[in-house]
Amino acid sequence: MTEPVLEMRDIRKSYGNKLALDGLSLTIEPNEVLGLLGDNGAGKSTLIKIMSGIVPIDSGDVLADGKPAPLNSRQDSQQIGIETIYQDVALVPSMSIARNMFLGREIVNGFGFMKQNEMRKLSMEVLKSAVHISGITDPNMHVGRLSGGQAQAVAIARAVYFKSRILLLDEPTSALSVRETEWVLDYVRRLRDEGTSSVLVTHNLYHAYQACDRFIVMSHGKKSIEIRREDTTIEELTEHVIKV
Amino acid sequence: MSLFRFVTANPAGNVLIAFVLLQVTAIAASLLFYDQFRYVSPINIALLLKSMAVIGVMALGVGVLMVAGEFDLSVGSAMTFIAIVMATLVQDGWNVWAMMVLALAMGALIGMANGYISLTFGIPSFITTLGGLLFFRGAVLIYHGPQQLRFEPTPLFRSVFAGEFLVLGVKVSMLFVWFILLAVVLGLILHRHRLGNHIYAVGGGEGAAHAIGVNVFRTKMIAFVICGVCAAFAGVLSTTRVLSVQPGQGAGMELQAIAACVIGGFALKGGKGAMLGAALGAAFIYTISDILILLRFPGYYLDTFIGIFLVAAVILNQKLDREA
Repeated sequence: MTEPVLEMRDIRKSYGNKLALDGLSLTIEPNEVLGLLGDNGAGKSTLIKIMSGIVPIDSGDVLADGKPAPLNSRQDSQQIGIETIYQDVALVPSMSIARNMFLGREIVNGFGFMKQNEMRKLSMEVLKSAVHISGITDPNMHVGRLSGGQAQAVAIARAVYFKSRILLLDEPTSALSVRETEWVLDYVRRLRDEGTSSVLVTHNLYHAYQACDRFIVMSHGKKSIEIRREDTTIEELTEHVIKV
Repeated sequence: MSLFRFVTANPAGNVLIAFVLLQVTAIAASLLFYDQFRYVSPINIALLLKSMAVIGVMALGVGVLMVAGEFDLSVGSAMTFIAIVMATLVQDGWNVWAMMVLALAMGALIGMANGYISLTFGIPSFITTLGGLLFFRGAVLIYHGPQQLRFEPTPLFRSVFAGEFLVLGVKVSMLFVWFILLAVVLGLILHRHRLGNHIYAVGGGEGAAHAIGVNVFRTKMIAFVICGVCAAFAGVLSTTRVLSVQPGQGAGMELQAIAACVIGGFALKGGKGAMLGAALGAAFIYTISDILILLRFPGYYLDTFIGIFLVAAVILNQKLDREA
């Protein structure tokens, strides 16, 4: 059996005296889309922030490919191959597509000056060849001028370019049109087939059921149920989320 | 890039158009009515280039910090405080070059303090540096008192920072050269360097920058330091130009520097602006000032005019922002 891409064991995290994660364990397998479900305050966002490296854990173990891996900074997380595709916070609206694509990982010369032409060219190549989104013609366009789906495409293109192994999608469809939602969910499935796993956090169980292979329902910082799609129905899933 | 696209896409586009229009009008008027309005006389051009440099250097630093989404209101009084410390130490016999380095280091330190206090305690930098403005305004009087202070640099020092040379019959001041040089260097850093990219990111979307892995604290601290060093350098230039320090001279300059940036197309909420805009904004303000002086308006008209242009610039920028 192959090792999980990421394994988290007995993760605890509290903010002051508020317990956000209470000994949560989970694995992310290769070639799968994992749905993270649960009501507000269940700990989903905290978990996503921990995985993206911007919130440190209080205790617990993190293993990448079976080996212990630190997860204390965004760089640690990128090292594992985790890419965040947050609805609002993954992109800087006042910056161009090319600059967003390479933000924090700029292509630079020996003095730290950016090779902007190369960054522009590569952004367009990835957007055209891999992501196939319509309407993006200019890498200098500000991300703030893009539609929700186009912005998401830029974030996904970034993940594709940097060969991410796990995409974190936190409510990716909440600001998208129906067509754009279909596109994003479809694309997540395609990336799965090509070897990039995803963690999808959503309140929309229809979207989750459409895209995910496995579900973890969370409640009060714990895992209340873990189930594969073939073993459940959308009605049953709804029951689990409401019940807890 | 076509000129049209540059003007519409660049945050400095508006001020560039306004500046060109102002120059064309002033030059045309001066050529037509040279005896009443000597705008194009070599003496006036030399004066204009010399006078815009100090506020210009300050505005460049304030602009970098505004792009990072922060303010520094303390630059005016910090500049005066640093200049007075430098001038007294030179009077005491210290080497003027070493004291200039000390002045720049003090600027960096003041910027660091402003940044550290704002960022670690989560206070808006507007408030922290308002405190700094009052602190240094008082510190100047505590340290030195209200009297004017002479600054006596070596002739070489004077010619490096405030000397003049002839270009086409116009005396160009070294102050202006330093201003342009600094604008180019900071422009390259802000627009072409990785650091500049991060400065835009923390100003335009702090949460996103953090989530993507940009070190927000370090980036903003660097921006505060750049701003402080520019203020100190403005102090060095202004002191070397007039060979004296007035304890009250920096008052209001922080607002003029911010006004220059806003006229130059910087967004108050951060993430937007270009060094060209800060430089042109400062040049615009001093051109208006010069024109008012040539037309023999009393000095206090300047603030009124700047006020009008400031608000007009913000309205214009917002309007174009929505339409673009």
